[in-house]
Amino acid sequence: MSSLSLADAGATERSESARTRPQINVPLGLILPPALFVIALVGLWAVLSATGVIPRYILPAPDAILNEFIRNYPVLTKHALATMGEAVAGFLIGNIVAVVMAILFSYSGLLKDAFYPFALISRAIPIIAFTPLLVIVLGRGQPPVIAVVSIAVYFPAFLNMMRGLASADVDYHEMLHTLSASRWQRLRIVDWPASLPYLFAALKVSASIAFISALVAEWIGANQGLGYLVVISSQYFKLPTLWAAIIVAAVLTLLLLAIVVILERLLHRWTATAAEL
Amino acid sequence: MGSSSRSGGLTIRDVGMVYRRRDQVTTALTGCTLDIPEGGWASLIGASGCGKSTLLRILADIVKPTSGVALVGGVSPAEARSARTFALVSQQSTMLPWRKILANVELGLEVAGVDKAARRRSAEEAIELVGLKGFEQAFPSELSGGMRQRAAIARALTLKPRFLLMDEPFGALDEITREKLNFELLRILKETSATLLLVTHSISEAIILSDTVAVMSPRPGRISHRVEIGFGHDRTNAMRDDPAFGAYEAELRHALHGPASSARPASHPIPAFAIH
Repeated sequence: MSSLSLADAGATERSESARTRPQINVPLGLILPPALFVIALVGLWAVLSATGVIPRYILPAPDAILNEFIRNYPVLTKHALATMGEAVAGFLIGNIVAVVMAILFSYSGLLKDAFYPFALISRAIPIIAFTPLLVIVLGRGQPPVIAVVSIAVYFPAFLNMMRGLASADVDYHEMLHTLSASRWQRLRIVDWPASLPYLFAALKVSASIAFISALVAEWIGANQGLGYLVVISSQYFKLPTLWAAIIVAAVLTLLLLAIVVILERLLHRWTATAAEL
Repeated sequence: MGSSSRSGGLTIRDVGMVYRRRDQVTTALTGCTLDIPEGGWASLIGASGCGKSTLLRILADIVKPTSGVALVGGVSPAEARSARTFALVSQQSTMLPWRKILANVELGLEVAGVDKAARRRSAEEAIELVGLKGFEQAFPSELSGGMRQRAAIARALTLKPRFLLMDEPFGALDEITREKLNFELLRILKETSATLLLVTHSISEAIILSDTVAVMSPRPGRISHRVEIGFGHDRTNAMRDDPAFGAYEAELRHALHGPASSARPASHPIPAFAIH
């Protein structure tokens, strides 16, 4: 009896700490280090710029860029919203399609045999190079950019989900088999939760891929957005605008990444690996 | 029950299992026959690789035998599985790590399509029966191995199975916890009047939990001996001190390892001890 009550006490103790851990600490711990880094970086930059180590026409002083933010706020906002819309839309479309495809592939041997090699090979195609083609097909503007982002974020999620959906221990499948579970139940109860750590690993990678590919696609196929702003401002030597656009793009990327990480923490129990058991 | 009780137990008749891999043929099981009447308790005991788990997995409809017949309550394992008349408890508790204990215990009824309120009630009953009350909201990783195994038994019990198939359910536990759970399982078996087939490699566990112990030998896997345990179903911890318990232990040990005294000269005591 005493051995049992010892185990009980340990269990409740651990369960309490597990319950309080995820919510409070995470956002601060997530935001503080990068914030400190940015402050240090700006300090270094001000010094380099003031002493003339880096010429002004390459890197303007921080205050010039700050001034740009204040003066050109509406323009930056307009382009930032356009890029954010494209990146987030592409991020969602690409990942949702990837997840659905991975589920279909892992449940149909024929589909997998037919398309999986193709899916792997197509990963080697430089998607950005298709932007001009997509512009011809979809017209100039946001649709080709969203298409490029969708295709670019598709592969990490697809490949990881293929692995994740097959990652559950065979013991769980046997257990569900003896319970006469349907395939759908098996997916919902075991395979889907088991794949979530894999999915989030992919989402963290593709959060930055989404913005990078959106910016590059905008160079080629758009008439608004931060990528477009970068090209235009560099052509007119409006360096503060160029730098402001880059900073905004970086902040937006971090924002999307933060949302993914916070979501992962909220789903903490589901996204923990089975090795925990 | 009446006429159905005649074939209502677990039946294995001349079951064989042959694996073919290219030109290599491995006979895992041959000519296994065993009858466990409804409400009876039986164990399969043997060294690793003797096919005892395979025999259990045939009854649980996880694998199909290459020859012979297996019946669960008079019907094929597949039919029994669809009708949900048996429950399997394996060595790994197979608690889903992302589900709390209550949700894990509810799983069997959830899969069976039982509505939320009813399955919650059954799960809470089962959790209480296995002595896990208060841990409904804990995650499996927060429990000890023994407690997780109790939860796995609770999950099996929610299905009100007529047959409990257990594959070394306490194999990963220490001796003290194992024995404690052995006697708790006895209590549960009496309360539920389920038929038990237990795979184990522990002689004492087999005696505590069985009317019949089938001893298996490897290469090819077969049932080599059968020992009837005459303790009835009213068993307490005191049975361990019964001289008959020691006699059964010796009988099973001989069945497993061969009769030590006849195989070796009695005047040579060391090997006889070494065999134990």
